[in-house]
Amino acid sequence: RIMPVRWSRYNPSYLEPEVKKESYQKPLEELTEEEREQMELKAVRPIKAAPPTLSSSVFSDPMISKFTNMMMKSGNKVLARSLMSQTLESIKRKQLEKYHKAPENEKETIECNPYVIFHQALKNCQPIIGLSNITRGGKTYQVPVPLTDNRKRFLAMKWLITECRENKHRRTMMPEKLSQELLLAFNNEGPVIKKKHVLHKMAEANRAYAHFRWW
Amino acid sequence: AKHTEQHEGRLYNIPLEEVKAVFPHGLPYRFQQQIQTFNEARVMVRRPALELLAYLKGSSFAHPAVRYVIYGERGTGKTMTLCHVVHYCSRQGWLVLHIPDAHLWVKNCRELLQSSYNKDRLDQPLQASVWLKNFKTSNERFLREIKTQKKYTWGKRESTEEGRPLGEVVEQGLARVRSASDAVGVLLREIKQQSQRGSFRLLVAVDGVNALWGRTTLRKEDKSPVSPEELTLVHNLRKMVRNDWSGGAIVTTLSQTGSLFKPSSAYTPHELLGKEGFDALDPFVPIPVANYSPREFESCYGYYLERKWLQHEKAHTEDGKAELQFLSGSNPRQLDRLAGPL
Repeated sequence: RIMPVRWSRYNPSYLEPEVKKESYQKPLEELTEEEREQMELKAVRPIKAAPPTLSSSVFSDPMISKFTNMMMKSGNKVLARSLMSQTLESIKRKQLEKYHKAPENEKETIECNPYVIFHQALKNCQPIIGLSNITRGGKTYQVPVPLTDNRKRFLAMKWLITECRENKHRRTMMPEKLSQELLLAFNNEGPVIKKKHVLHKMAEANRAYAHFRWW
Repeated sequence: AKHTEQHEGRLYNIPLEEVKAVFPHGLPYRFQQQIQTFNEARVMVRRPALELLAYLKGSSFAHPAVRYVIYGERGTGKTMTLCHVVHYCSRQGWLVLHIPDAHLWVKNCRELLQSSYNKDRLDQPLQASVWLKNFKTSNERFLREIKTQKKYTWGKRESTEEGRPLGEVVEQGLARVRSASDAVGVLLREIKQQSQRGSFRLLVAVDGVNALWGRTTLRKEDKSPVSPEELTLVHNLRKMVRNDWSGGAIVTTLSQTGSLFKPSSAYTPHELLGKEGFDALDPFVPIPVANYSPREFESCYGYYLERKWLQHEKAHTEDGKAELQFLSGSNPRQLDRLAGPL
């Protein structure tokens, strides 16, 4: 049985669905030539089915949905999404409590928005350079290699999740663990940032093998 | 707190010390978390609560106690209305008998003792002692004023004489955990007899009253199921909720979320109470609680914005507000859950 994972089984004549509300609210005069042609094409051609992760809500965020997909186990998206929302809520509560207790001049420096914290923490965890195994003459060397954006994001999210799943006490809940890790990563502390630094040091140490890379 | 119909839709503040004194065990968990995060307790004034308060102000206390049953769909604010009424009455100086959730007495009990007072019944020492402790914190001054009228013997050596303050009965129940349920029964009987004389007003506030007449999940040691009459706590509560005393009021809430063996779409009194319960509670005043009206929704939304609870940038826009209203269907609980991660 062939599952359409990398190559889709749709006929090439099918078009992608358009989700943004603003594009349907523009009056006809404002459209350029290309967009008018596009609209006429859409009236004729069939359209692919919209995946369940695609939403037209103002509150949806592609990074958050990617993260929930990575946290999901055996297809239980309901549980993963509820864990994610509980994590965001607990981050917000902790930051709000700190905010209310802080003196006046420090109140502006405390960031309360859980989405901003999430994005900043991910950015802080992303490695700049990665290692890959290259075999030359029977021996495998760890060669420093530049990473694409997608790979960096994937590595950051993977490290966060594995860190939470393994290195904590058995009885603590996932939202608590995750919120702790995210707040530490936001301040550039914590085990995930350490892992990133260790990777950078290894890459720096293996600088000599950099010329093994041929791409 | 004097509220008239003009105040509908606004939120009023309860000072934190009063919250700890009046509600040691009554508030829902999410509301307690909210109190901790915002450092203040804000309750919205809504129409069902105003109705209830108007009835309570106008009722005469020579007549037998009137029963009010608050019912509604899931998550529309029945428990919060009850807490509003309880706070009002405690401000006025009534003696408040607040049972947070009768379903807790009817399921998940680890220890069941056979009662020494009456051979057929079963005792629940844990739940009874927890409730006695909370009752003590909420009504301390009444416990010193009210005196017992009969002599009660707790065992071979302990007994309470006539004319001792009720606080001693409570201490006895807390110290000797085995006889805690009997202490609760004694307390309820004394309070009922004395409120008829009119020295104080009594409010019986029960949350989840349908637990008193349904089935239980508890079993005896020979694996036979327990019916609610066999539990001393439930038996005494049923006597309180009956109409035969005067000088106060009984306010109860139906709750589907904790109820046992009832379908999740049932919310009317007839379905949730069953035939027995409905007959027992028969002449009562039903008070329906609905979802937020548009004005109440706006005031709730404004409160969240002011308290910086809605942090998402898009949540401040008109689109975000319309989306929140649509997704939650103006249901208070859904709005609270949705506004959490945003």
